[in-house]
Amino acid sequence: MFSQHRGTAAAVAALTLLSSQAWAAQRPPGMKPLATSPKAGLWVDSDKAELQVQQSPELDASPELNAYVRGVACKVAPDYCGELRLYILDRPYLNAAMAPNGYTEVWSGLLLRVEDEAELAFVLGHEVSHYGENHSLAAHEALKNRANAGMILAAGISAIGVAGAAGASSTQGAQQILSSTGDLARLAYLGSIATLFSFNREQESQADALGFRRAVAAGYRPAAAAAADLWGAVIADNAASDFDKVRKMDAQLSIFDDHPASAARQTALKTEAASVTASGDSGAERLRTAMRPRLVVWLRSELRRRDYGATLHLLDRLAKSGEDLGVINYYRGEAFRARRGDGDLARAAQAYAAACDAYQAYLTKASGAEDAWMVQDSLQALGKAN
Amino acid sequence: MLIRSFKMAALALSGLALAGCVEITSAPPGPFKVGGAQVTLGHEWSNMNAVTPLRSAKVTLLTVDGPLLNRLYISDALTPGEGLVLSAVKEKPAPTIKSGLSNAERIEFVTDSIAALDYQRVQALKPRPGSYAGHPGVRFDISANTADGLDVVGTALAAEVDGKTYVILYLAPSEHYFQANLAEVEQIIASAKLGG
Repeated sequence: MFSQHRGTAAAVAALTLLSSQAWAAQRPPGMKPLATSPKAGLWVDSDKAELQVQQSPELDASPELNAYVRGVACKVAPDYCGELRLYILDRPYLNAAMAPNGYTEVWSGLLLRVEDEAELAFVLGHEVSHYGENHSLAAHEALKNRANAGMILAAGISAIGVAGAAGASSTQGAQQILSSTGDLARLAYLGSIATLFSFNREQESQADALGFRRAVAAGYRPAAAAAADLWGAVIADNAASDFDKVRKMDAQLSIFDDHPASAARQTALKTEAASVTASGDSGAERLRTAMRPRLVVWLRSELRRRDYGATLHLLDRLAKSGEDLGVINYYRGEAFRARRGDGDLARAAQAYAAACDAYQAYLTKASGAEDAWMVQDSLQALGKAN
Repeated sequence: MLIRSFKMAALALSGLALAGCVEITSAPPGPFKVGGAQVTLGHEWSNMNAVTPLRSAKVTLLTVDGPLLNRLYISDALTPGEGLVLSAVKEKPAPTIKSGLSNAERIEFVTDSIAALDYQRVQALKPRPGSYAGHPGVRFDISANTADGLDVVGTALAAEVDGKTYVILYLAPSEHYFQANLAEVEQIIASAKLGG
């Protein structure tokens, strides 16, 4: 599971070890345990979790977006492309995961937070590396060895707990949401997938390193730099949160280490990036083009987190490219309006005005664009509201 | 640890229910009060308050066939900072009323509250003027899905009276259950009065 995790020493050790190795996976493509094998249960659990995801209303069925993300995954994992089944879910938390049967989840919160295709390639490479190294099987074995069922449950929860931008941007956050709803069926689903992804710090660091290798081999910009950038963004997202617990999450994890969790992995990857001189593709425009049709829906989901500090920080990052400023400023306005702190309504009005300006500028420059009618519609709606 | 805590709480609740300490009560036909608000029920409903975790104290949950098949939320006066649902964790706050909301924002408050109950793809449909105990409000319909993909529809009324917000919200699966009680719910909405 792509996640924040602790372990400076482990990260550095894994990268050092791998610097002299190829990233070739250990798992042969198409591997599946015999039905009579003790490992078969893991595939059964994965199949069940996949069935539930297939029924989820959060599933994004857009053929273009699915083809795009799958294409990136296949670039970094040509060896496993045929057995990879990808599901994009409208969930506003940073997360991606790949189960041992090949089913892979990518959440909208991740797609919103990666700045370019190279960062996405690193994350998918990281997930494929867990898969290729059979980390789930190792985790399953470790869990089986613990006789106490409560211990197994706790380990599963712990696996979820380290995911994503700990707290607000994570499966832990999602689990907290589900806990607050009392929906036991969904808790069971998350509990089941959690046991599939309970990786230790060495495995996470190894997946970082292998993911880096895969992204470099696929021709992306120095992938470790991309990965380090992503970790930096995750840290900054947490720091911008409205909630103390989320802001302090790195510090809490760092009790066991000398440095904050994400910073440790960021540092290890920066070190690796310095050793690679090859330049490469970033794919920022391709990513934004693929995301653009979903931007409104995903930002609406982001707002429902009601962590306005983190959302505004995300919007600032999305605005850096200078694209989609109409939508981005509109959602800035929405965040200020919903937060309603001192001066927020005035800030909302400014943001809505900026959205109008951006829409108008776009229409002036690209009146014949495919989406011009939609931008015109947004502009008219804002005009009526103002 | 949250799951463990929740399961323990659910277990404790089940234990209490089995021991007779917590029970679903009858809401018989006739006047039914929720704080300072009152509606008239046309037939018997079940009051689920005692077995509904994370329910705001100012909200009553009624059902006919069980909360998965139909649920009717009736709120007392909600003041700024109060909501229809409570949050289990500080980092995922539930939607709350804020002062000076527009009707569009009241719709958003209700739909976000539904989303906080883990319904997905929540959408407000057909917003129109409504009346709560003779006070102007907003009526609208709802479409959503459960996490398992079941189609759910609903209808709601939200109104602000003297700076306090009142909400009546009905949700049920689109197949059979929504229509089965819709006429009764419309009568309940029309019967709303304050200080009854």
